[in-house]
Amino acid sequence: MSSQPNPIVTEAPLLLDVQNLRKSFGGVHALDGVSFSLKAGEVHALVGENGAGKSTLIKVLSGVHAHDDGTLTLDGAPFQPSDPHFAKAAGIQVVHQEFNLLNDLSVAENISIEAFPRTRFGLLDRTAMRERARAALDAIGLRDVDVNAPVASLGIAHRQLIEIARALQSESRILILDEPTATLTERETSRLFDIIAGIKAKGVTVVFVSHHLNEVFAISDRVTVLRNGQTIVTQDIEETSPDGVVAHMVGRALAGTAPKAFADPIGDDVVLSVNALRLTPSLPAEGISFDLRRGEILGIAGLVGAGRTEVLRGLFGADPVHSGTVTLDGRTLKINQPRDAIAAGIGFVTEDRKDEGLILGMEIAANISLASLRDVSLRGLLNFARERRLARQSGAQLTLKYGKVSDPASSLSGGNQQKVVLAKWLARTPKVLLLDEPTRGVDVGAKAEIYGILKDLAAQGVSMIVVSSELPELITLADRMLVMCENRIQGELLPDHYDQETILKLAYGQTGGVEGSTS
Amino acid sequence: MSSTDDLSGVPKQNAFSVRAIINNAGIGLALLVLILFFAVTTEHFLSPNNITNILTQITINLILAVGMTFVILIGGIDLSVGSVMAFAAVVAGKAITLPGLGTTELILLACLAGLLAGLVCGILNGVLSAYWSLPSFIITLGMLNIARGAALQVSDAQTIYSFPFAFEEFGSKLIYGVPVVFLLGLALVAIAWFVLNRTVFGRLIYGIGNNEEAVRLAGHPVFWYKVAAFTICGLTAGIAAIVYMARLSIASPIAGIGFELNAIAAVIIGGTSLSGGRGSVIGTLLGAFIIGVLANGLILIGLSDFMRQMITGVVIIIAVVLDHYRAKFSAT
Repeated sequence: MSSQPNPIVTEAPLLLDVQNLRKSFGGVHALDGVSFSLKAGEVHALVGENGAGKSTLIKVLSGVHAHDDGTLTLDGAPFQPSDPHFAKAAGIQVVHQEFNLLNDLSVAENISIEAFPRTRFGLLDRTAMRERARAALDAIGLRDVDVNAPVASLGIAHRQLIEIARALQSESRILILDEPTATLTERETSRLFDIIAGIKAKGVTVVFVSHHLNEVFAISDRVTVLRNGQTIVTQDIEETSPDGVVAHMVGRALAGTAPKAFADPIGDDVVLSVNALRLTPSLPAEGISFDLRRGEILGIAGLVGAGRTEVLRGLFGADPVHSGTVTLDGRTLKINQPRDAIAAGIGFVTEDRKDEGLILGMEIAANISLASLRDVSLRGLLNFARERRLARQSGAQLTLKYGKVSDPASSLSGGNQQKVVLAKWLARTPKVLLLDEPTRGVDVGAKAEIYGILKDLAAQGVSMIVVSSELPELITLADRMLVMCENRIQGELLPDHYDQETILKLAYGQTGGVEGSTS
Repeated sequence: MSSTDDLSGVPKQNAFSVRAIINNAGIGLALLVLILFFAVTTEHFLSPNNITNILTQITINLILAVGMTFVILIGGIDLSVGSVMAFAAVVAGKAITLPGLGTTELILLACLAGLLAGLVCGILNGVLSAYWSLPSFIITLGMLNIARGAALQVSDAQTIYSFPFAFEEFGSKLIYGVPVVFLLGLALVAIAWFVLNRTVFGRLIYGIGNNEEAVRLAGHPVFWYKVAAFTICGLTAGIAAIVYMARLSIASPIAGIGFELNAIAAVIIGGTSLSGGRGSVIGTLLGAFIIGVLANGLILIGLSDFMRQMITGVVIIIAVVLDHYRAKFSAT
């Protein structure tokens, strides 16, 4: 970092200038006054927590979303990226986190997909297509890739690079890379960085989004930190440090979250004990190990992709488990499918309510009884009276707001739908409840209600594991917190050490270990 | 549980059937319009003989469509029922023409053999498509060929005939002008309705069609429910085979070609969604009637069989387009 960056960078005029950008989705302010500028030929890193507004900013720049307010200036002229084609024509290219390649087509076909070269007769000009692909690959140093090979035959890293080659073949002035290293190994990442350096030398401006601060510091000229849809700071990279960036990402104050009051009686007896759990052989050999005590709410923090959801799905038998042991009340469980976990007294509130949690088209009552049909039937015959009674009782207990229990679940608001999912598991009086993002898509009022319900359950002795990407949520709920990073437990925290900076450092793999009085 | 609770529960329809009734009202109305139209435009449409005719003609399609309803409700499709019916008929035909057994034993044996043949084909369809999560479209397309080939192989490509008199009598017997075989079809509709609307099994059939993953994560063995749906469909193909033999007094290895399409059409016209999870067997009954009434009436007013086929096709498309809008409205 001591080496002087390219002097052109510091002297360069502004290529893109964004002022006070605002964008709301419904009542959610995804961008709440973002200002952001790009100097010609720089590598500019964009960092922030999940939900800070990085993706939305990129989508506005690339014409996917129209912004509500604010000004964009490209090369000194007003810029309104009304649709993706327009943004591309203006020279802004995005390489998305999810691949947009057609796996069964060849590399050459993929590179030319946006505008196939044609012969005089309007037929596909294969020769021109191959030449164009060759040139695009050579330009980023991919001489070893055969343009006729199907994309499916290439590794993840090469696919990523082919996306970059595709983005660069047209006149690109700004290349936006959205978490390009998420799926790459270290060696592949360093190759990508060489390529980025080459692109930069050709005068292309690169926007680099990453969760890995060491990468940000390895290749960027400047860094912009977003938080809650606002720009917190833009700094030259040599004027800051990874710790400084984390501090900016978190902010000084823990906005509006009081530390948890220690009212719940948490027993000393371990209910659930997980030892060296691994879902696939490729995960770290030590696996995931932890204990869960009676009436305890254990939070699991970490970045998206750190392996948190996978732990819950493995425990519940939703996905097959490669190795490890799970003991519940001293009994070793053999969990091959959800049925086994449910029989042992485990419930699972999934991350994705619409696809996994609810049967939206069916009655509220049918959703609530779905995991306990035995209780509302006799020899396979449904007892509708008993089912409705169960639904009404659960509804009253969870202050569910509904018309009739025979209305479809789709008639409910997000918060009430989530209560129906909770009711489905509470009907079985579970010993352990697994909750993945329990308040996603739920409004603030219902959020508080759900927190209240969960704490009441803990007081009644139900043990819970809560995975959440919202740190305030975990800080509010958890009696103890595990922080995961790259499929490992990076650290364990007790409430006196709950602060966002400590948690984020663990989540980004900057520090490790146990913080707190006991482990 | 208190008995009053039970009493208050039974007579009330659950919302599923209420919604089903509303959905069916439109189909019922369409059927009524058709009947009125043919009653006015033709002389013989409402004659007792013709009514008996229609009921006889729709019976086999109705029986196949009842099983098909289960498969379509879980989001599957069974293209093999026509061939499976022929295979089951040939197997039953071989059994019923065995020498040296009494009439009762022969009839019993034939029924068992036919049902078993259908059952086995259904189980295979279900296990193969559910185990590997393969599209049932492809698996049952394979079974369509396998069962047809098996029917030809077993029968040596010969039509089997000369069945016991009592068996043939069952196929043509009328009660007050209503064919006994049609009553059998109605009974199957009633059983299917009860299973789909009153049992845990039926609830989960609808659940799987709506959201398979949610049902699996609630701890239910989705695999076996899917196998069961295909097994029911195979079984109804076996029942259809027995009815077909009793009615026509033959077991032909080339019977039932294209029957699967009529059965699917009856289910879809009856308002069951092709993507699964929504629909009812009462709708299927009405759908089978619409196809049968159209076929009969259009011939009575003097249209060619080709025209009839075209019009049936148009009705299927109208039914699917209507279903598209129905799904849109119910989703909001």
